[in-house]
Amino acid sequence: MRRFEYHRAETLEHASRLLVELGDDSFLFAGGTDLLVEIRERLRRVRNVIDIKSILGLSDITYDEARGLTFGALVTVGRLERLPLVCQRYPNLRAAFASLGSIQVRNRATVVGNICRASPSADTIPPLIADGAFVHIYSRTNMRVVPLAEFFTGPGKSVLAKGEIVTGITVPPALDNSGKAYLKHGRRKAMELSTVGVAVSLTMEDGLCNDIRIALGAVGATVLRAPEAEAMLRGTALDAATIKTAANKAMEECTPISNVRASADYRRDMVGVLTGRAIKQALEAFA
Amino acid sequence: MNINTPIEEREFKIVGKSVRRDDVLEKVTGEAEYTGDVKLAGMLYGKTKRATVAHARIKSIDVSKALAYPGVKAVLTHENVPRVLHYGSPHPRSASCTKDQYILDKKVRFWGEGVAAVAAISEEIADEALDLIEVEYEALPAVFEPEDAALPGAPLIHEVGPGGNLVLDPVRVNRGNVEAGFAEADFVLEGTFSGGRPHPAYMEPNVCIADWDGSNKLTFWTSTQSSFMVRGILAEVLGLPLTKVRVLVDHMGGGFGAKQDCFQHEFLCALLAKETRRPVKMEFTRHETFIAGRARHPCRIWLKQGFKNDGTLVARDMKLVYDSGAYGSHGPGVTIVGTTAATSLYRCENVRLEGRCLYTNTPINGAFRGYGVVQSYYALDIQMDEAAERLGMDPAELKLKNVVREGDIAPSGHPILGHGLEICLQHGIDVLDWKALRNRDRTPDPSQPHIRIGWGVGCEMHGSSAYPGIKEQGNATVKVNEDGTVTLLTGAAGLGTGAHTALAQIVAEELGVRFEDIGTIHGDTDVVPWDIGAFASHTTYLVGTAAKMAATKVRASVLERAAMKLQVKPDEIDLSEGKIFVKAEPGRFMTVAEAMGPSRGIPAANIVANGTYEPTKSYSFAAHFTEVHVDTETGIVEVKRVIPVHDIGRVIHPIAAQGQIEGGIQQGIGHTLTEDYVIDKKTGRSLNAGLVDYKMPLSMDMPDIETIILEAAPDPGGPWGAKGVGEDPIIAIGPAIANAIHDAIGVRFHHYPITPEDILKALREKGA
Repeated sequence: MRRFEYHRAETLEHASRLLVELGDDSFLFAGGTDLLVEIRERLRRVRNVIDIKSILGLSDITYDEARGLTFGALVTVGRLERLPLVCQRYPNLRAAFASLGSIQVRNRATVVGNICRASPSADTIPPLIADGAFVHIYSRTNMRVVPLAEFFTGPGKSVLAKGEIVTGITVPPALDNSGKAYLKHGRRKAMELSTVGVAVSLTMEDGLCNDIRIALGAVGATVLRAPEAEAMLRGTALDAATIKTAANKAMEECTPISNVRASADYRRDMVGVLTGRAIKQALEAFA
Repeated sequence: MNINTPIEEREFKIVGKSVRRDDVLEKVTGEAEYTGDVKLAGMLYGKTKRATVAHARIKSIDVSKALAYPGVKAVLTHENVPRVLHYGSPHPRSASCTKDQYILDKKVRFWGEGVAAVAAISEEIADEALDLIEVEYEALPAVFEPEDAALPGAPLIHEVGPGGNLVLDPVRVNRGNVEAGFAEADFVLEGTFSGGRPHPAYMEPNVCIADWDGSNKLTFWTSTQSSFMVRGILAEVLGLPLTKVRVLVDHMGGGFGAKQDCFQHEFLCALLAKETRRPVKMEFTRHETFIAGRARHPCRIWLKQGFKNDGTLVARDMKLVYDSGAYGSHGPGVTIVGTTAATSLYRCENVRLEGRCLYTNTPINGAFRGYGVVQSYYALDIQMDEAAERLGMDPAELKLKNVVREGDIAPSGHPILGHGLEICLQHGIDVLDWKALRNRDRTPDPSQPHIRIGWGVGCEMHGSSAYPGIKEQGNATVKVNEDGTVTLLTGAAGLGTGAHTALAQIVAEELGVRFEDIGTIHGDTDVVPWDIGAFASHTTYLVGTAAKMAATKVRASVLERAAMKLQVKPDEIDLSEGKIFVKAEPGRFMTVAEAMGPSRGIPAANIVANGTYEPTKSYSFAAHFTEVHVDTETGIVEVKRVIPVHDIGRVIHPIAAQGQIEGGIQQGIGHTLTEDYVIDKKTGRSLNAGLVDYKMPLSMDMPDIETIILEAAPDPGGPWGAKGVGEDPIIAIGPAIANAIHDAIGVRFHHYPITPEDILKALREKGA
């Protein structure tokens, strides 16, 4: 493994200052499940690693019916995956968390880390976008809150400015009239990067779809929404024919590439199949 | 041993029992020492600089910056290493290998080939120094497919060999009269088949450590299946007598055949250590295990067979082309074994086969579990399934009609003794109630209308030992110690299969002592008897017989000494469970310790014996039955159940045998559905040289496997009729899956891996 300097940040202020002072090639270290592999495999040039695991207050999980679910930057995927609240109220998040890496990886990796890595194929991003989650961002001069859907600017890129640190995520409350699903398509059942991931979060009122958000993973430079497909579904009873038409629309709305994992055409086909299946699975909450 | 010797029937005390493996405690506690764990004082770390072109001449290499880099102790290029043309896989007594490698050459033949090596005080510094080596290439036109390599005027990859880009002269087998056979046929099936480039992806990356002592002797630790072969080739290339090269290997994290080559880094490591007069370690990254390791030969197969309307096979015409990659390695052996294998499996009197092997500018393909046969039997078995479809017959019934029988001429050229395929197939048909499965209600489950279910069966046979390609020899030394314990010395490598446990079981059984009383010494070429290497599914069969022979000899010596002490004749006593007793008076006995130890002025006994066994070959057999679920919307195939029915003769350690079978099925599922090491056909660059995008099935992906091991067809060549099981399980699962997919969705695939995209494309074409 290439040599790097290790720094332990005691506070957010300290971590932010180190990020600015140490300059390029400096990275925050929480779970490290991506960062260390990338250093070892020489995929990322790293001069400084800033360990944030000693910073207090970043490991909390809270939930209330008004604000929703909030968790800090040090909360591991495994902890959230096993949380009864997540299992019962956020089956979409539960599915995404349980499909990330392996049990060992999930016990180290953080959800915030998975998000900050900004991979278009990250499993945690589509359901969080579909749920309308937002991120809390710290800097020494300003705190800001950004909708997750507006956080990403490209593969590996986000709106974070130099010295800014994501401290946590808030997911809106899971309403009784909501249905949620996340479907991951890969070649095996664990230790797998998504070929395509589709998340659907919807609410029903009087038998009609009140709102729906569809988020598509691994079929664009960032995780994408499918606004036209969503518009076709809002206000309908989500019958099979409408779902089929909307799923076809979602296929038009994505922009996949071909690589060793799958061709663009196949990814597009899977957006159609998985969007239809995810809507049906989300509707099972009302069955 | 006479091949016609009847197999001894006896009541077994240790053989056939799943005794606790002799290495299990150290492995579960993490104490077992693997090559990568060896640390020597003053040890340096070596790294290989790898080419970034597929085919080129090296115009210049500038190492001055690397040499000046603090911590760097030596840099090797083609300009300062011995230029010795050598074999990549120098199997002693084998004609089937090719002398086409230099340690470092002026020419690059594949993307990723080593062009220089660095030794430094840390791995990081060595790695950084690689970037400071400047190589100027003169690019040459490259070929990445065997078809292109075979064209007249194709760029020549080697200057040696039989001509063009052929690795060896075409292998031709002719039996009977193929034209007459086709004339007799009621119908003919013809098809082309192809196989991808699966990689063994063993858990332990290749690693070696070289250390020269003051007497100019090289001690060499390396993760190899063939320590004596490494010793021989190192001695040859370095110009040393065998007394000056000692090769050591203790535990290994797998090899699957691929660790029986001589690798470039092994020579470089020895030379870096010599140059610096310090120990040097070289360990592959996972990436390097792909680009500098060995994969299975991609293949193209054309197969035409004639059948009678009663299902009789009357003619087989087959052409096979194997892609060797940039060097010969095991290309010749794989071509010979894979081609001649097609004389058998399903009986046919009129056979014409032609096997070719071609160089391409791609990473080297080598020995890998199933050795050429995975490819040829994939084609043979699938086409037999197609014949059944054409005839409206049950494929299992047609296969049962055509499988090889006792006395048929095997690929090795001798009659098959202990044929087991018929009984394996019949057993599977019976336990599964296969006819009922065939006639099941095929209406899809209304809750999952996109899922189609299919059942398939595939057959295989595979030899234990590489005879006749290699005239093999197994050796073992058994010593009885004065406390009654026994030391077994063997050169057979322990890849992680439990081979040493099986050998110790055989010695304990034959000698009449407890399993726990056997200590096994292995993996030191200065100490153990010569060994050909652990490959060709032969360790238990070949070395097991040698160990049994040595045990027979020491047993006689022990009885002789005990007879003297008991004042009886040797034939009046017997040895069982560590006790020597007078047959007529079972109450009168002495322990082996008492027999061996000193008493009344008689010194302790020194009883040592060697066993040497030169076998021909036995064949093991299997039929794999499998259930797959095909998602017709995503194209994903899920293997749900596998019922492998194997006949491997006498089973020495049932759990270890079952483990081999399950592991082979896991690899075979991967090769058939998800695993393919992909080389970019424009640049020769590896596209998925790592475990992120090289998709091996993991534990979560494993189906239910209900292993059935029959002991109905023992071979007299192995200990108490034991035969090999190492390679068999990877062969039949592939065609079984392809046949099951056809059963599920009515589409035939002639290639592997069968990807979800292939499934969807075929369904669309079928629907159109």
